[in-house]
Amino acid sequence: MASVKLTKVKKIYDNNVVAVHDFDLEIRDKEFVVFVGPSGCGKSTTLRMIAGLEEISEGTIEIDGEVVNDLQPKDRNIAMVFQNYALYPHMSVYDNIAFSLRLQKVPEDEIYARVTNAAEILGITDYLLRKPRALSGGQRQRVAIGRAMVRNSKVFLMDEPLSNLDAKLRNQMRAEIILLRQKLDTTFVYVTHDQTEAMTLGDRIVIMKDGYIQQVGTPTEVFEMPKNLFVAGFIGAPQMNMFETDLTLENGVYYVKPFGVKLPVDGEKGAALAAKNARPGHVTLGVRPEHVVLAEPGENAIACTLEVNEMMGSELHLHVYTEDETRLVVRVPTIRLDEQTRKCLVAGAKVYITFEGKVMHFFDPETTENLLN
Amino acid sequence: MKRYSDLEFLQLSKWQKFRYRLLCFFLSIPTALKNFFLGIGRFFKNAVLAIGREFKDVAVTFKEGDGKTKLSYLIMGWGCLRRGQILRGLMFLLFEIVFIIYMIFSGGYWISMLPSLGKVGPGETYDAVLDTYVYQYNDNSFKILLYGVLTIFFIIAFLYTWRLNVKQNRIAEQILKSGKRLKSGKDDLRSLVDDQFHKTLLALPLTGILIFTVLPIVFMILVAFTNYDGSHDGFINGLFTWQGLENFRTLLVWNGGGGRSYAATFGEILTWTLIWAVFATFTNYFLGMFVAMMINKKGVRVKKLWRTILVMTIAIPQFISLLYVSKMFAKNGIVNGLLLDLGWINQAIDFWGSTANNGLLARVLVIVINIWIGIPYLMLIATGILMNIPADLYESAKIDGASGWKQYTKITLPYMLFITGPYLLTQFTSNMNNFNVIYLLTGGAPTNAAASWASGNVGYTDLLITWLFKITTGEDAKYYLASVVGIMVFVVVALITLLVYNRLPSVKNEEDFQ
Amino acid sequence: MKEKKTMKRHMGLRATNAISNSVIHVLLVIISIIWLIPFVCIVLQSFRMELTGQVGYVIPKQWGFGNYISLFKTDFTRWYINTFIIALVNAALQTVIVLCMSYTLSRFRFKMRGALMRFMMILGLFPGMLTMIILYRVLKDLGLTESNAVPGLILVYVASSGMGYYVSKGFFDTIPKSLDEAARVDGATRMQVLFKIILPLAKPIVIYTILTAFMAPWGDYVFARYISFNNPVGMNVAVGMYNWLTIDQINKNYTMFCAGGVVVAIPVTILFMCLQRYYVEGVTGGAVKG
Repeated sequence: MASVKLTKVKKIYDNNVVAVHDFDLEIRDKEFVVFVGPSGCGKSTTLRMIAGLEEISEGTIEIDGEVVNDLQPKDRNIAMVFQNYALYPHMSVYDNIAFSLRLQKVPEDEIYARVTNAAEILGITDYLLRKPRALSGGQRQRVAIGRAMVRNSKVFLMDEPLSNLDAKLRNQMRAEIILLRQKLDTTFVYVTHDQTEAMTLGDRIVIMKDGYIQQVGTPTEVFEMPKNLFVAGFIGAPQMNMFETDLTLENGVYYVKPFGVKLPVDGEKGAALAAKNARPGHVTLGVRPEHVVLAEPGENAIACTLEVNEMMGSELHLHVYTEDETRLVVRVPTIRLDEQTRKCLVAGAKVYITFEGKVMHFFDPETTENLLN
Repeated sequence: MKRYSDLEFLQLSKWQKFRYRLLCFFLSIPTALKNFFLGIGRFFKNAVLAIGREFKDVAVTFKEGDGKTKLSYLIMGWGCLRRGQILRGLMFLLFEIVFIIYMIFSGGYWISMLPSLGKVGPGETYDAVLDTYVYQYNDNSFKILLYGVLTIFFIIAFLYTWRLNVKQNRIAEQILKSGKRLKSGKDDLRSLVDDQFHKTLLALPLTGILIFTVLPIVFMILVAFTNYDGSHDGFINGLFTWQGLENFRTLLVWNGGGGRSYAATFGEILTWTLIWAVFATFTNYFLGMFVAMMINKKGVRVKKLWRTILVMTIAIPQFISLLYVSKMFAKNGIVNGLLLDLGWINQAIDFWGSTANNGLLARVLVIVINIWIGIPYLMLIATGILMNIPADLYESAKIDGASGWKQYTKITLPYMLFITGPYLLTQFTSNMNNFNVIYLLTGGAPTNAAASWASGNVGYTDLLITWLFKITTGEDAKYYLASVVGIMVFVVVALITLLVYNRLPSVKNEEDFQ
Repeated sequence: MKEKKTMKRHMGLRATNAISNSVIHVLLVIISIIWLIPFVCIVLQSFRMELTGQVGYVIPKQWGFGNYISLFKTDFTRWYINTFIIALVNAALQTVIVLCMSYTLSRFRFKMRGALMRFMMILGLFPGMLTMIILYRVLKDLGLTESNAVPGLILVYVASSGMGYYVSKGFFDTIPKSLDEAARVDGATRMQVLFKIILPLAKPIVIYTILTAFMAPWGDYVFARYISFNNPVGMNVAVGMYNWLTIDQINKNYTMFCAGGVVVAIPVTILFMCLQRYYVEGVTGGAVKG
C-alpha cells in the first residue's frame, strides 16, 4: 500500500539505445495502473526499473515517498509476477510461495497460515506438494500470483502475466485478477501489450510507444479522447478507421468532405472544434468501426465495395473499400440486420455507409495530435 | 572481381557458386585484417582519450575539492577516514603503506635492474679469510625479469587504486552535497554478497589467472627478446640480457649455410602441424558423425551398448591408451607379431622409425590412431545434435522426394556444421597444440635427419608444440627460441581464429536454424 | 494389380532396410572390437608371467598376479596416492573456481565483462606449455617442486582453471534469468540466489565439472614431468609409468606397465561410467554452445 512516483525517469542501454524517455507518472495509493503498448515500447523496462531489476539511468523513482534508485529489489518491498511465471523448478508449490517469507525469517507456523490462506484464495490447495513442472499453465500462473500475494508488499508488479495462457484461460484469469485486486487492496502496476486487458483492468492506462508516454488516462478517457493517432489506433478493436480529408467552416458550421460526400460536424464535436477555434484545412479523420453505419444510397452515403465479410457471431465485421481504394472496416451488430440484407452482404457487393459528426475524431496530419487537445 | 547481385548469384551453377564464395572469402581477408588493425588502433586511441579524461578529472577534483579531498592525494583514504568511511579509508591507507614499503625495500631495486637484467654475473672472487678464490653468485637475471614485471604490475595496481581513491572523494563530496548518507563499512561488506557479489566471486579466479597465466605469458614474451638459455640461465652459469629482435631474426631469416636455416625447419614443422590439424579435425568430425548416425539409425538394436563401449574408452587416461598403442606398433610389438604370424609380412615393419617419404608411415599412423582416440567424443557430440534436428525437416524432405544421401548433404550436414562451427574451430586450434597425442605416441619420431642440427632433435611427426617442448628440455635449453616459437604459434592460431571466427554462420546469423 | 505393385515397393523398402541394418550391425561390431582390443590386450598382458618385455602375441602362456605384486613394490603406490590426492583436491577447488567464474559471467553485466571474456580468449590462444618454464622456476623458489610437487601441481592446475568456464557458462545461460529476478524480488541477496536457486538447478554441470577436474590429473604428463623434475617422490602415475617404457626400461617393466594401467584405469572408469549421463550432457551442451 503505497504510492509510486516516477520523475523524469530515463533508461539508456550500454549501446546508447534509449529505451525510456523522461517518464513522469504518479501512481496513487491502491491504484491499478496498466502500462500498455506494442513490444519494444519501454513498458517492461519501466516496470523493471520500479522493481529494481534494471538500473535507472536518469531521474528518480519513489515508493511511498522514499527514493529507491539505489535500493536492491529485495529492499524495495515489492512483489512481482513474471511473464513466464519464474517458478523455482526444484521447489514444491508450498516452498515456492514460502520462499520470500523464509528469507524474511517469518516463523514457520505463520508461514503455514499465510501460504495455505493464499492457496485457498487461488484454489491451489490440492497442489501444494507438487513441483511446478507437474502443473498446468493456469495453475502455474496462480502459484506465481500466490508467491507475490503472501508478501504483503507495498506494490504489486505484473509483467504480462497472462500472455502465456490460451485465450479462454486468459479471460478467466483476467476476471480473477479483478477479484484479487479487490481482496488485496494494494497498488498495482500491470504491463501488457493487449489493449483489452488494459481497458478491463486498469483504473488508469499509460499508453507508451518508442519509450515515450503517449497518453495517461482512464479507460473511458483514452477511448473517447485519444490524444493522438497512435492512441486512437491502439485502443479499440477492430482498429479505428483513419483517412485524410478536408475540414471546412461554412457559416459557423464545420464540415468534413470524405470520399466526395459532405458531412456536417454537429453537436458536441462541432462545438468543441468551435471552442478550440480549429482552423479549417487538411485533417486526418478517425471513425471507429462501430460508429460507421450502413445507409441507403443518398447524398450523405459513401459508396463502397465489400471485400470480406467476417461473421463474429453477435456482429459482422465488413471490410470495404471506397472508390479511391481506401480500406475501411464497418462493425454491424447482427441483430440489426434482416435476413435479406445479410444475404446480400457478399464479397463484391455494393454497400453504402455513413457516420455522424459526434463520433468523429480529428487529428493534425502533421503532428498526429488530436485537434481537440 | 565481379560482384554478383543476389538474383545473378542464383543463376550460377553449383560449381560457380562455390568458386564465387571461395573467392569472396579470400578477397575479404585483407579487409578483415585491415579492420582488425583499425580496431587495435581505435582501441589505443580510445585508451589514450580515456586516460586523458582521467587526468582531467583528477585535476578538476583537486581544484574543486575540499581540504580532505586535497590531502587524499598524498595520504590515500584520508577523505574516506574523515568522512566516516573507516573501512574504505583503512584499506586505501594500508595499500599505500604496503606499496611504499615494498618499493623502498625491494621494488625499486628490481625496476632499476630491469633495463640491464643484472650487472654482475657469477664469477670467482678472492676470499681473504679463506685465502682462496671462491665461486660466487651475484645478480639473478631471472629474478630481476620476473620481479621487475611483477613490480610493474604492482605499480599499475597502485596507480589504479590511487585513482579510485581520488574518485571516491569526488563521489562522496557529491553525495554529501545532495544531502544523502554515505555508505558505511557495513554497507560495503553487505554489498559484497549482493550487488557487488561478482567482485567477490571473481577475486579468486582472476588472481589465479593473473599470477599463473598472465604473468608467465608476459614473462615468456619478454624472454623472446633476451638470450635466456641453458648457458645464460641468469644466475648459475651466467647472466642473460636483452637482445632486441635478434631471436626473431634467427628464426625467420638466419641462414647458417649448408641448408641450415631455422626458417626452413620452422616452415617444415608448421606445414606438418597444419596438415595434421586439418586431418585430425576433419577425419574425427566426419567419421564420428558417421558412427553416430549408424548408431542412431532406426532399427539398429542395443544402441546403448554401442554407445557405452565407445564412451568407456574416454574414461581411460590417455597416457595409458596412447603409450600402449604406441608400443603395439613397435618393431617387436603385437601388431608386427600378428602380421608375421599370419604370414602377411616377412619382416617387421618399423612404423615409428621409417623415414621414407618424410616419415609418411608414422604420420599416417598418428592420424589413424588419433581417429581411434577422437571418435568417441565426436560420436557423443554428434548424437546430441542429431537428436535435436527437427524431425519435420526430414519429413518435408522425404515428401519432396529426397534420397538418404540428399537428406544428409542438404539437412544433416548443414545443420551439424552450423551448430558445431565454433567447436570445429577450437578443435582445429587445439589439435595444432595437441601435445599429448604426438608426444606419447611417437615423441616426434622418426628423426628428421636434415633438421636434426636444429635445437630439440626435430622429428617428422613433431608439431610446433612438441618441438617447443623439446627445445626447452633439450641440452642447450634455448628458452629464448622456444619463446619465439611460442609467439609464432600464437600468431598463427590467432590469425586463423580471427579470419574464420566472424565468418562462421552460427556467429553471423544466429537465428537461421532456430 | 496396382495394389500388388505398391506391395512390392513396400517389400523392397523393408528388404533394403533390413540389409542396411545388418551391414550397420556388422560394422558396429567391428568398431567395438577395434576400440576394445587395446584394452583387452592390456588386461591380458598384465597377467603374463613368462616374460616382462614386449612379445608378439596376446594371450599369456603363463598366468599370474606377479606383475601386480611387483607393481606395489615399486614407487607406484606413491605415484598413485599422489595422483589421487591431486585429483581429489583439484576436483574440489577447480569446481569452485569454475563455478564462480561461469556463474558471474553468465549472470552479472558489469563494465569490464566483455573485455574480460575477450582477454581470456586471447590468453587461451597462447600455448600453455610456454608458461611451464617460469612456473617451474617460481614453484622451485617456493619449494613446491620435486618431492613437494603435489601441492605445486595442484596450485598450477587450480590457479588457471578459471579460463575453462565455457561449458558451465553455457549451462548457466540456459537457466532462465527471470528465476534470479524473481528470487531477488522475493528478498534474496545475490549470494542467496546462487546458493538457493541456481546451484540446486545446476547439479548436472557441477557433477560434470567435478568429474572432468577429477579425471584430468590422471592423464597429465607435461606439467607433472616438469614440476616433479625426475624426483620419483613427486611424480604422478603418468610421469612415473612413462619412464617404464623408455628403451632401456621397457624389457623389464612392460607387463608391469600393463598392470599399472589396469589399476589406474579401473577406479576412474567406474566413476566415469556411474556419472556418464552428466558427462554426456556437458560435452554435447558445450559443443552446441561453442
